Amino acid sequence: MSVNLSVNLSGIKMKNPVMPASGTFGAGREYSELMDINRLGALVAKTVTLKPRDGNIPPRLCEVSSGMLNSIGLQNEGIDHFFKHDLPFMKEFDVPIIINIAGNSLEEYAQLCREIDRVEGVSGIELNISCPNIKAGGIAFGASSKLAEQVTAAARYNTQLPLIVKLTPNVYNISKIARAVTSAGADAISLINTMVGMSIDTNTFKPNLGNITGGLSGPAIKPIAVRMVWEVAQSVKIPIIGIGGISNALDAVEFFLAGATAVAVGTANFINPQTMTDIISGLEAYLVEKGFTDISQIIGKVKT
Amino acid sequence: MLQIKADIIGKEEVMPGVFNLILVSPEISRNARPGQFVHVLCPTDDGFMLRRPFSIHRVVPGRAFEILFQVMGKGTEALSRVKIHDTLDIIGPLGTGFKYSEDIRSALLIAGGLGTAPLLFLAEELVERQVLFYPMLGYKTKTQMLRYIDFKRLGKKTYAATEDGSFGHEGTVVDLLNRTVHNIRPEIIYACGPVGMLKKISETADEFGIECQVSLETKMACGIGVCLGCACVTKQGYKMACKDGPVFNTRDILWGAEDYEKGLANGCGCDNQALSDTDSAG
Repeated sequence: MSVNLSVNLSGIKMKNPVMPASGTFGAGREYSELMDINRLGALVAKTVTLKPRDGNIPPRLCEVSSGMLNSIGLQNEGIDHFFKHDLPFMKEFDVPIIINIAGNSLEEYAQLCREIDRVEGVSGIELNISCPNIKAGGIAFGASSKLAEQVTAAARYNTQLPLIVKLTPNVYNISKIARAVTSAGADAISLINTMVGMSIDTNTFKPNLGNITGGLSGPAIKPIAVRMVWEVAQSVKIPIIGIGGISNALDAVEFFLAGATAVAVGTANFINPQTMTDIISGLEAYLVEKGFTDISQIIGKVKT
Repeated sequence: MLQIKADIIGKEEVMPGVFNLILVSPEISRNARPGQFVHVLCPTDDGFMLRRPFSIHRVVPGRAFEILFQVMGKGTEALSRVKIHDTLDIIGPLGTGFKYSEDIRSALLIAGGLGTAPLLFLAEELVERQVLFYPMLGYKTKTQMLRYIDFKRLGKKTYAATEDGSFGHEGTVVDLLNRTVHNIRPEIIYACGPVGMLKKISETADEFGIECQVSLETKMACGIGVCLGCACVTKQGYKMACKDGPVFNTRDILWGAEDYEKGLANGCGCDNQALSDTDSAG
């Protein structure tokens, strides 16, 4: 018996609902040596900015209980380099391409959208308004419903592509932000980005990250992510990409039950590059075992 | 680069808390270069643990490779409990190793403690290439002289220092270097150990105009150049230890910032593993 895993994410047609979370997969070049990218539902690139960014001072990583803190700081070579070196590589695969962007200002988000709209072969844009590791932009846009609405509107005005807005969990009322970006024209919402965290070396009394604080990812944040996906699914009609500590098929199933149409896998890729393809096989097996024929039959079906 | 399940065919506790594992992989043993590392999934019940990077310690040509590690935290603790014929999930070989030109004639290999891990593989390669080299090994005390016999067998003349003076020169390997470098006059220095030691060695190398390459230790997540977490500060900007390194030429390294040194090593003198193990102490 075969099951249907394909989903349509506001116009992005995916053969299955599994993709990498931005920043944990580069442009896929390195992982293509270890796994089959063509099996993925979509390919999501690491955040790209208008100008190159150096990133933050090391140390940038710290493993913690059931998770990891990072303060990379959106190190990237800028959009021109991305178009020249990464996008052509990503186009070699038969997988929809989603470009994740971040800016220091509304104008930078707008300009990035205009530039992406001009190139061929891109299926969607994800707005990163939730990075906790940069001084300007990033989380500042995602933590205020007013700014989130403005940046979404600015992007919406400048692109015809499906527009996904990636939200930060570091807010009191995630539904309010979700409604704001929806009213400003977002086609889909992805959540959650990392939670702001901190770790201190008890020998030196110094923070374990050069940037002092960083973003917490991994299984530690999964229950928060499931709760937020569930809350947002009650408040908006647009599709949701569930993200946060997903390591296996049953983790993914929780997000579908909470209301996600698709899921993105992040930190778990570092531990096992086969995580996403294992999840795709595992979802099939789960649906068969439970007597379902289509992934849509479990989306939002949590019994509360 | 491959992801494999490698059979463990050898395990030895070479001194209390320090283990050597022999792992079967014809591909890795064939393709690995001295200074490269493997990224190891440590068998733990914790549910979540990042891979741990270990320098390739030695290869059994065409068949297997070895890693040498000290129990420093949860990852290495789990790894110390593996049994012969268990398998380990490994990604490798990874990173950029030691570089040497064809016409090199003499080298000095300086290791502090577990810094011997990547240098033994290099020593065996240099023997193969008929390059004269001098091992210079620093230890805490006579009973902790990791791989001294192996280096002595391979090298032209082996120098040793112990901090307590129980064997060889009394003091650090850096003191020993400063006392002997004008006699040895190597064309190149290869070193691995605590970051403070590496920094001092690079200063001496600079003073005598000797090229110097060191293997740096950082925390890593992906290990393959994706996450950009293992940044090292160089004169050319941030470089990734997992891909651009872990071996760097000291003329490129910016040792300055205190935060940066903290990012590199905690003074345990290791291959590439200690700091990656989160509960390791300084």
